[in-house]
Amino acid sequence: MANAVIMPKAGITVESCIIGSWEKKIGDAVKVGDVLFTYETDKASFECESTEEGTLLEIFFQDGDEVPCLMNVCAIGNEGDDVSSLRPEGAASAEAPAPAASEEAPKAAEVKAPVAETTAIEGKTAVSPRAKKLAERAGVDATLATPTGPNGRIIERDVRTLMDNPVAIAEAPAKAAAPAASEEEYKDVKFSGIRRAISKSMHTSLSTMAQLTHNTSFDATAILQYRKQLKNCEGDLSGITLGDMILFAVSRTLKNHPDLNAHMLDDSSIRLFNHVNLGVAVDTPRGLMVPTIFHADEMSLVEISKATKELAAQCREGNINPDLLQGGSFTVSNLGSFGIESFTPVINPPQTGILGVDTTIDRVRKAPDGSIEIYPAMGLSLTYDHRAVDGAPASRFLKELGQNLANFTTLLAR
Amino acid sequence: MPKNLFVSPEEVLAPGKVTFKDIPVNQYNKTIKEELKSGKYTKEDLIRIFRDMTVLREFETMLNLIKTQGSYNGIDHTYPGPAHLSTGQEAACVGQAYLLDENDFAFGSHRSHSEILAKALSTINKMTDEQLMDVMENFLEGKCLRSTEKLGECKDVKELAIRFILYGTLSEIFARETGFHMGMGGSMHAFFLPFGIYPNNAIVGGSGTISTGAALFKKVNNKKGIVVCNVGDAAMARGPVWEALNFAAMDQYKTLWESHNDGMPILYNIFNNSYGMGDQTRGETMGQDRMSRIASGVSPTQFHAETVDGYNPLAVIDAMERKLELLRNGQGPVMLETVTYRYSGHSVSDQNAYRTKEEIDAWKEVDPLLTYPAKLIEAGVMTQEEVDAILKETSERMTMICKAAADPEISPYCDFKKDPAVVERLMFSNQVVEKFDDREPEVTVPKEEAEGYKKIKSKTRNVIDENGKPVSKMKMYNLRDALSEVIYDRFYEDPTLIAYGEDCRDWGGAFAVYRGMMDAFPHCRLFNSPLAEGSIVGTAVGYALSGGRAIVELMYADFIGCAGDEIFNQMSKWQSMSAGILKMPVVLRVSVGSKYGAQHSQDWTALCAHIPGLKVCFPATPWEAKGLMESALKGTDPVVFFESQRIYDVGEQFHEGGVPEERYEIEIGDVNKVCDGKDITILTVGATLYRAMDAAKELSEKYGLEADVINLHSLVPLKYEKIVESVRKTGRVILCSDACARGSFLNDIAQKITELCFDDLDAPAVVVGARNWITPPFEFDEFFFPQASWILDAIHEKVLPLPGYMAQNGCTEAEALRRAAQGV
Repeated sequence: MANAVIMPKAGITVESCIIGSWEKKIGDAVKVGDVLFTYETDKASFECESTEEGTLLEIFFQDGDEVPCLMNVCAIGNEGDDVSSLRPEGAASAEAPAPAASEEAPKAAEVKAPVAETTAIEGKTAVSPRAKKLAERAGVDATLATPTGPNGRIIERDVRTLMDNPVAIAEAPAKAAAPAASEEEYKDVKFSGIRRAISKSMHTSLSTMAQLTHNTSFDATAILQYRKQLKNCEGDLSGITLGDMILFAVSRTLKNHPDLNAHMLDDSSIRLFNHVNLGVAVDTPRGLMVPTIFHADEMSLVEISKATKELAAQCREGNINPDLLQGGSFTVSNLGSFGIESFTPVINPPQTGILGVDTTIDRVRKAPDGSIEIYPAMGLSLTYDHRAVDGAPASRFLKELGQNLANFTTLLAR
Repeated sequence: MPKNLFVSPEEVLAPGKVTFKDIPVNQYNKTIKEELKSGKYTKEDLIRIFRDMTVLREFETMLNLIKTQGSYNGIDHTYPGPAHLSTGQEAACVGQAYLLDENDFAFGSHRSHSEILAKALSTINKMTDEQLMDVMENFLEGKCLRSTEKLGECKDVKELAIRFILYGTLSEIFARETGFHMGMGGSMHAFFLPFGIYPNNAIVGGSGTISTGAALFKKVNNKKGIVVCNVGDAAMARGPVWEALNFAAMDQYKTLWESHNDGMPILYNIFNNSYGMGDQTRGETMGQDRMSRIASGVSPTQFHAETVDGYNPLAVIDAMERKLELLRNGQGPVMLETVTYRYSGHSVSDQNAYRTKEEIDAWKEVDPLLTYPAKLIEAGVMTQEEVDAILKETSERMTMICKAAADPEISPYCDFKKDPAVVERLMFSNQVVEKFDDREPEVTVPKEEAEGYKKIKSKTRNVIDENGKPVSKMKMYNLRDALSEVIYDRFYEDPTLIAYGEDCRDWGGAFAVYRGMMDAFPHCRLFNSPLAEGSIVGTAVGYALSGGRAIVELMYADFIGCAGDEIFNQMSKWQSMSAGILKMPVVLRVSVGSKYGAQHSQDWTALCAHIPGLKVCFPATPWEAKGLMESALKGTDPVVFFESQRIYDVGEQFHEGGVPEERYEIEIGDVNKVCDGKDITILTVGATLYRAMDAAKELSEKYGLEADVINLHSLVPLKYEKIVESVRKTGRVILCSDACARGSFLNDIAQKITELCFDDLDAPAVVVGARNWITPPFEFDEFFFPQASWILDAIHEKVLPLPGYMAQNGCTEAEALRRAAQGV
């Protein structure tokens, strides 16, 4: 008897996944644990291992198909086994006859993949009255939400998703079809789920917020010395980086600046977090990912360092739990290693601020004795949402952060 | 199916023949002089008979002129309503009314101005001045009397009463607030209870069953007087009239009833004017030569029927005298065919295309308004001058009345602009009446000794016992027990309460709600009716409007169609058409079947909810059933009480602590929230509650969604507050009932929710009903009636797609459009 392999549920909040590519083809012998196909959520990608042994008899969904979690994806069994009972309604089947009788037509029309990201006809997005009302109250653009309602309608839960997790913002409805051109001129590459999510999130961020950036620098002598000191230590302590120290300092400094450790809820309210859940921007082969260090304010420097490394590794390997890719209350993005002297980080909505870490350059200053001295200055670029925070308090945060970093050992002692 | 009536094959299969007695036809042949000599009438009586006939004639003449020329004796008035005139039928009406008094109830036909006025004039003559003043002062707080007094000085109270009755009737016809029923009844529904004048009816033969119910009321409650049921000849072709004749003739009154076992005190009088509208009954649309023949097909007594010359008032009085004696001796029912003729058309638009001028002229030659006074003059009872004086007095009085009734100063219309709720307030009486009479209820055993009642009381009133263990079916107080308990209680409180319907007694009702009651209550309070739904509901209407309380059962809701007129036109409308003077404390139990296919499984709540004037409820739990039945059986309004055969056996699963031992009422109009949730509202009607609970369980267990489940045990009236509160909270609503989805009352509720909660809705309100088919055999129940999976499908497809869920039952838009286009 043939058995089905289902689309795994890759996290509590994940409702469907896109098949990346099939590693096995129909007719292949499969053992339990063999990788059948890769799949991705809008945040991460995974490999699906076979839970059955036998021959891959039928594949119900193809590369790029979006499949609801827990739905049958393929059938494995002995040659000749009947797989019709395993085939989900609406799945493409190689051997399924095309519906011929007109009676069949409405039945086929009934079937559609649930929770499909569909948009209403003619590019006009339908929004339920309740969703519209909620979006107005929350100050978000409901039409940017991913519709999961019937007929591509944006319903309440879609707006809530948009508010809670702006990474999952909807794609722009219609895309212009390119005129036919010779294939050698260029290649059209379809965005991966992650790329699409980044694209939407960044666009929403810049189009819905009042963002501006302040730049400053601090004397990095202390942290560079401390870094040297740690390098000679045993074990995890030796792995602590300048970035980790900045994360540590941010986690402490934010406690005095609750408006920057917050989510904008709507035009009239803000959610202030009691703990610092620090988003850390990680560069991965699939694109930018931002895992969260929950309760960073309660962690020691070495704990932060370890957590950062683990999360970054999981992101790069693509096996991070999607639940760890959300919930941040403030984000740090470090481009110092690329020699960037100053930049404008883009806020991860609905957060109210993001810190960019720049490279260290030598600067001169007047020493107390009147002479000119050279010191290492590390740049900091804070982007904040002016709807939530004014310029002076934002500057005060940046100033305090700089002081804490310049006197890092004092901060550690607290 | 009483056991003591042995159906003997020897007797039933024995040879023999059916015989009939002769039916007398127009046998009266006395002269005026003979009558005077016998001392039966004084000269004044004979003259008053003439006077009364002139009053009736002038009334119809006046209306005819107002309708056709817009003017009568210089009074200009436009009256747009109906005028089914009885010009020519005066002698028949005056003759009938002559011996009747205020204790005798006369129900009217389709053409009944003359019937009403004749009964009034006769009653006025018999009542004392004090009684008359009392009646007039107390009727509608003297409003009619005050207007009548504006007509000027009056020689005596009787004249005042004549003016009063003419004015009250005409202003009712002219739709004035000063009419007997604020103008809400009009020409076709004019009556005056204090004189024993009961409703006439715009439905041909409508009085057949209603008057029979009034006679049942008199019989069961020992009330004085008899009942006259007036119908026209054309009405004798109608089924409900035949049902009424049979109901009145039932053998059980004599063979089974322990008390009140006289015959039914009712006279069926057929005013035979030979025409329906334009159809001629004799010779064309019926097969009867004489209408008096009909009763021979109903009972061996032949209802003591005879045909009487309705063109001679004294012949009619003579026949009435004999019929009344039979009735007073308990030998009813009786029947009279009173032959008459109408000169006027059916209505004023009648072109008389169906009869010749010669025919009308031939009848006019024997017009009682000419022949009767001629006989009186000939006999020396009165002179031509006296005749002329009466005609003059009648004409002057009518002119005065018409002027007043047409005058908006004296006779204003109800002001709908100032008081838009004027009719609204009349739709229901909304009273609580413990009992309609103070006497001791007639019972066979005291309540505490009634075995059936004791058995109910001994049951566990919850689905789990005090140890948390499930209660066995046999020991569990169920929905059936809840209904039964209240009916028992009310039987012991309201002596007028009677219950009947198909197999209510020995069988205990088809679904055992009356089980055991035959041992507690005599036949006069609980009996088997004929399998004739028109008569079941129609008699209950008559019983209730006469002053009693009735609970009747139709066994299957599908039989509502058989009692369509009685439910939709009579039970529903009389409270408001009478401007609240009549009450309608009728509970009509109907059961929604299962397992019995297309004609025994329908939920017709929508039909009843559509008709203004009916309260409609449908309990789905024992707690609801008990509280609603208590309200229904204490109220004064007609309630169609739906029950589902699927759930008579359910125990109380929702109400904390089970069903209380003590009495309580649930307001008809309230709703019952059985399950709290924040994600989706499910509204249910009837047995679908239990399938909705299954769906709610799956929503919770598989999808983490919590449903707010509200059972709509009442449909009319319906308070929306709790529904709106729930939908505002959840933003999503599914409505579910076993009624066919098209035209289901749920659509009405869904539409109202959409209006009230539009901005809070996350999806349209979705109705899940049965398919628009016949009900297929029980084996295919799940394909026809809503199932839990249908509810989930509807949620998934139309409201809130459920992750990983696959719809199975095809409820997409395309499918809905296809079905609508096909009419299925």
